[in-house]
Amino acid sequence: MIREVASGTEPLVVGLGSPDRGDDGVGPTVASAIADLGLSGVRVAVHEDPTDLVHLWGRAELAVVIDAVMSGRAAGELVLCEVGWGQGPLPESCWAKTGRGGTHAFGLAAAVELSRALGHLPRRVVLVGVEAASFDHGAPLSPAVQSAVEAAVAEVRAVLAEAPVGSDA
Amino acid sequence: MTHKLSDGGQVLHVGMLARVEGEGGMHIEIHNNVVKSVKLNIFEPPRFYEAFLRGRKYTEPPDITARICGICPVAYQTASCEAIEQICGVETTPAIQAMRRLLYCGEWIESHSLHIFMLHAPDFLGFDSVIEMAADYGEVVEMALRLKKSGNDLMTLVGGRAIHPVNVKVGGFYRMPTKAQMLALRPALARGVEEAFETIKLVATFDFPEMEQPYEYVALHHPDYYAIERGTVVSTSGAGFPVREFPEHVNEFHVEHSNALHATFDGGMYMVGPLARYSLNFSQLSERCKAAAIAAGLGETCRNPFKSIIVRAVELAYAFEEAVRIIDEWKDGAAPSVPVTPKAGEGFGASEAPRGTIFHRYVLDADGVIQDAQIVPPTSQNQPAIEADLRKAAQSWVDLDDHDLTHRCEHAIRNYDPCISCATHFLDLRVDRS
Repeated sequence: MIREVASGTEPLVVGLGSPDRGDDGVGPTVASAIADLGLSGVRVAVHEDPTDLVHLWGRAELAVVIDAVMSGRAAGELVLCEVGWGQGPLPESCWAKTGRGGTHAFGLAAAVELSRALGHLPRRVVLVGVEAASFDHGAPLSPAVQSAVEAAVAEVRAVLAEAPVGSDA
Repeated sequence: MTHKLSDGGQVLHVGMLARVEGEGGMHIEIHNNVVKSVKLNIFEPPRFYEAFLRGRKYTEPPDITARICGICPVAYQTASCEAIEQICGVETTPAIQAMRRLLYCGEWIESHSLHIFMLHAPDFLGFDSVIEMAADYGEVVEMALRLKKSGNDLMTLVGGRAIHPVNVKVGGFYRMPTKAQMLALRPALARGVEEAFETIKLVATFDFPEMEQPYEYVALHHPDYYAIERGTVVSTSGAGFPVREFPEHVNEFHVEHSNALHATFDGGMYMVGPLARYSLNFSQLSERCKAAAIAAGLGETCRNPFKSIIVRAVELAYAFEEAVRIIDEWKDGAAPSVPVTPKAGEGFGASEAPRGTIFHRYVLDADGVIQDAQIVPPTSQNQPAIEADLRKAAQSWVDLDDHDLTHRCEHAIRNYDPCISCATHFLDLRVDRS
């Protein structure tokens, strides 16, 4: 069960995507798995619209975003990227087209850079991308992506374990 | 990218026209400083959806057609519900209509705030994107995000999702939000009203190219209020008819350079969208909206496509006002839907998507299976007007260098907030000179 608590400095985990559009649902699926772990002091959220991130970061020092990507890799392969302070922008060829798609949709890359421009970007932002195979309407996760969920959850947990949970650091 | 042709002409190639959604390309040919040809090439997905709808159940169009677009799904849902309900002889309740209007306000707020600030304002302020704009206009962008978030929140509450609502069904909704849930959003919406009126003042200060176009305007009209979720069809030439007569006036046809059908209205070019709505229904805006529009330099009719950003701001304020009004007047306890039993027949629905009138037609058999479907989206209807604007804009500024001319042409396209495709594709802009 996803829970969102008041925005604070606690680490934030965001599953980005639509839960009923094939592999676009991998972000929400991984976020739900993290929420089910009941990690103390970790804020977990699911959103479809990347523009929500600009406000969602709050005062978080660490954020982990899970999203489907299409970068030419094998379906289910994980792509990790850091875009926090001092990091460069996301490669738009991969990330901007994720989620809703289309230029009307403000992609993740644009949301991150807008957050950076406005001074809202957390110190550390880790993006966990899962290479998608299909975004069919109403479809479940593809077998390759479904089998990657466990590894994605482990990556998120590993990132969270690196930081003192719930600290102000 | 610019390069010379072997005949001495010049090709300017822009690989990606940002801040416009769509798939296709545009080609402008200029010979001896005279614009000879303007073609907007589009690959339009709704045709695919029409075929996809055949054989599906009468209850499915709201969910299927919502997927056509991530920014105007409510327009599709509302028009499809209207059409199916008409076939089945069902009239929904005032409470259901009010909730549809509230959901639609959420969509207008989402879409208009996105386009005004994120997609269109950078053109006027000399930025390539809202990200660059944020450095100098941080407070404005923060306000834009707040406004958009209010729309997202309204869509999430009423529609169940911020992007592709799942709470809409033929006959109404699966569940109604409670008054208490709606009141939780009211403070942000009330703030949105004030910030939307500030938006009108802000965009009115932009520099607008002098350009007026004489197109026929077509929009929905409702006797009781500024038409959003339903109405009859009216035009500046004096036409007025029920939605079911839409096919008798609008002729869709194929042009060689575009996969999207073009359209004429009573044989001529026409425009749907904010300028048309505003000009045809100005008297039905709130007194405050009317006063703000006049103070912003708009007349009761607006013919300058570049000033569509002001009109969108006026409609943004109106949508916020309407959302607050509906919430204030809401009483819990209304049934979320009315029962709908399938019947054989043909039905028609239309609503005002943020970028213009959308029309749906369905044919059902006695079991409620869809035999035929037709969807006429606003951007498809506006293609000839966009091309005409581009021709005029390119000719007016033909002496500009390729970079500036390209920018003006892109700006002219974005005046329409075109929603060319719901897929992840971009418009390819090409100018040939010789």
